[in-house]
Amino acid sequence: MLRILVEKELRDILYSTKFSITFGASALLVMLSFYVGIRNYQESMREYESAKSVNVSTMATLTDWNGVQHKVFREPEPLQVLVNGVANDVGRTTDMRVRGELSLFNSRYSVDPLFAVFRFLDLNFVIAIVFSLFAILFGYDAINGEKESGTLKLVFSNAVSRADFILGKLFGSILALIVPLIVPFLVGCLMVIGFGVPISADEWIKLLLIILSGFLYFGAFLAVSIFISAVVSKSSVSFLFSLVVWIFSVLIIPKTSILVASQIAKVPNVDAVDAQKRKFLNQQLAGRQQKMQQFMQSATFDEGFSNRFNAFNDSISKIYEKERETFFQRLNEDWRNKKEWQERWAFRLSRISPTAIYQIASSNLAGTDVALKQRYLEAVNKYQEQFGEFMMKKGVSMGGMRVVIRSSGQQTQEEQPKPINVSELPQFVETRENVAAAFSRAVPDLGFLVVLNIVLFAAGFVAFLKFDVR
Amino acid sequence: MEQHATISAEGLTKIYEDGVCALDHVSFAVKPGEIFCLLGGNGAGKTTAINIFLGFIPPSQGVAKIHNVDIHRDPLEAKKYVSYLSDVVMLYPNFTARQNLDFFARLGGKHALTRDDYYTALRRVGLQEKAFEQKLKGFSKGMRQKVGLAIAIIKESPAIILDEPTSGLDPKAANEFQTTLLGLRAQGKAILMSTHDIFRAKEIADTVGIMNEGKMLAIKSRKELEHEDLEQLYLNYIHGKVAA
Ligand SMILES: Nc1ncnc2c1ncn2[C@@H]1O[C@H](COP(=O)(O)OP(=O)(O)OP(=O)(O)O)[C@@H](O)[C@H]1O
Ligand SMILES: [Mg+2]
Repeated sequence: MLRILVEKELRDILYSTKFSITFGASALLVMLSFYVGIRNYQESMREYESAKSVNVSTMATLTDWNGVQHKVFREPEPLQVLVNGVANDVGRTTDMRVRGELSLFNSRYSVDPLFAVFRFLDLNFVIAIVFSLFAILFGYDAINGEKESGTLKLVFSNAVSRADFILGKLFGSILALIVPLIVPFLVGCLMVIGFGVPISADEWIKLLLIILSGFLYFGAFLAVSIFISAVVSKSSVSFLFSLVVWIFSVLIIPKTSILVASQIAKVPNVDAVDAQKRKFLNQQLAGRQQKMQQFMQSATFDEGFSNRFNAFNDSISKIYEKERETFFQRLNEDWRNKKEWQERWAFRLSRISPTAIYQIASSNLAGTDVALKQRYLEAVNKYQEQFGEFMMKKGVSMGGMRVVIRSSGQQTQEEQPKPINVSELPQFVETRENVAAAFSRAVPDLGFLVVLNIVLFAAGFVAFLKFDVR
Repeated sequence: MEQHATISAEGLTKIYEDGVCALDHVSFAVKPGEIFCLLGGNGAGKTTAINIFLGFIPPSQGVAKIHNVDIHRDPLEAKKYVSYLSDVVMLYPNFTARQNLDFFARLGGKHALTRDDYYTALRRVGLQEKAFEQKLKGFSKGMRQKVGLAIAIIKESPAIILDEPTSGLDPKAANEFQTTLLGLRAQGKAILMSTHDIFRAKEIADTVGIMNEGKMLAIKSRKELEHEDLEQLYLNYIHGKVAA
């Protein structure tokens, strides 16, 4: 019986005009999102490669490791282009230093403001905004529409249980909604392969999981609109109700929760933290200058001076570096804790909205969640240690100044400085997250989506048990 | 006698939530091969009785049975033996006549029907051939009603319940409809239909139940009606009731 009802529901939608329009629009949007994504990926890959080679060729002209200004770059990832998340907001370039705090700058949006205007056109946008709208379009008159057309009475004059009927509605319309997503999605996957975008097996699985969570997501919207259609007797009214739910889920709740969270958990802004850091550095600099003066006053300028000066310089550098590190660390940690707390509140509140839950889940799967910056900074910091060790071996000082005294008469042809060998530099390789790690981060929100589906469907079912079919 | 009835009401009473008594201890029975007309004016309680027989609403008192199964006790079992046609049949506008028929046939437990079976049923109710594979969207009321009747026929259930099936049909269509019903009676179906139409009731019914304000005033067989003017009888009963 259920099979007959699912099949009928599916066919009823497939034959309808609203389906043709939906299919056309979604095919266009999904394929466009793939195309735009692929082009963006290719472009940012080109930028990435050229930035890397400029970095290397600049260094290659140097003859002394002391003058090296090394940069590392965040490599674009194919999935980030389909599920943008924060990928375009986070800086892509880091000035590598032997010591000291590293920062990211040069984000996609800061370089390409026009790109920021069209930030929405990724696959995730299409699922989160467009498909949820299609879901309510498919579900808003599920029950009351059939009552209005009198078919409900005709159906229930047969040996049909209400459970079968409403399950048929849900499954039928989910299937009908999967079609306009999966068909252009498969075309998009072919495009990815055709354009030669390197996607690993892990990333294919992540993409599959993202699509599956998309099904769960619009399943929730179908369930809620079926519920509404079983509570409200007129289909025109239930459409309005469903639309209101959609607006709240997509627009109002996520934005409001961020506002509310920033009220609940106050975080000092970045400028204030920077000011604190600058103040500390100025104090340090003043102290250091004082020490240096004292050293110079008591110094004797003989042959050993340059060595003694460098040793002294290194030792105070080390001390100040240590001081600075602990202070900055404390400051950063404090700020991060507050920020995390605020974020947690924002996320907690926003999870009233299925759209937010889906966005959190999918960005976790794609690795473009808000922790992206943190994860990347960790990778860069790890590299910094490697880089620092390497530079130390090359005799680069810890920072500050360095005095080299050369006797001018002894210069010969052989001592002509040779260019440095850049390839000796340790390579920065960012390890990509595997499926298991991404999935485990997404699990709570996927669980929420499952629970939401069950709860909303149960609500619809209970409402339908009391529904007057006449 | 009661045992043989395919459709039977015993002391059926319905009081709606707002206190309206739409049915007041109504009893009747429809045997195989019998057409039973519920005759009554607006608000007499005909639709209420039919809705109880289909399990759409529970009775306040009394029992409604189809094929000897209490519809309220075991609705899914009882509904296997009944097919239904209402006064306004919209059906699924995106499906063709055949697709509508196909869906409802399978709901009614007919899984192995072929296209020819559907066409036969549609021909039997007099739908023009070219409409068989057309979407219901553009169908007139009469055409939809024909598809609805085909749906009721194809289930091959022993009981058929029709709520004012000919209201809004033109005379020719109503006549065709009547012919089909007579064919079904010849097949041994028990048919319960409601109507306002005294003349049609007299023409087609084996038994007429005259209803007013929720009460069954009289049940007359064809034989009893042969020498009487049903219209006069009907008015007499109603006025008699009003006067009483
Ligand atoms: N859902 C309801 N709630 C309350 N009262 C109702 C409801 N449905 C019907 N009634 C009342 O019950 C009475 C019988 O109505 P019913 O629809 O059974 O009459 P009917 O014989 O089918 O009339 P008609 O010829 O107009 O179709 C009427 O007085 C009507 O107002
Ligand atoms: Mg009626």
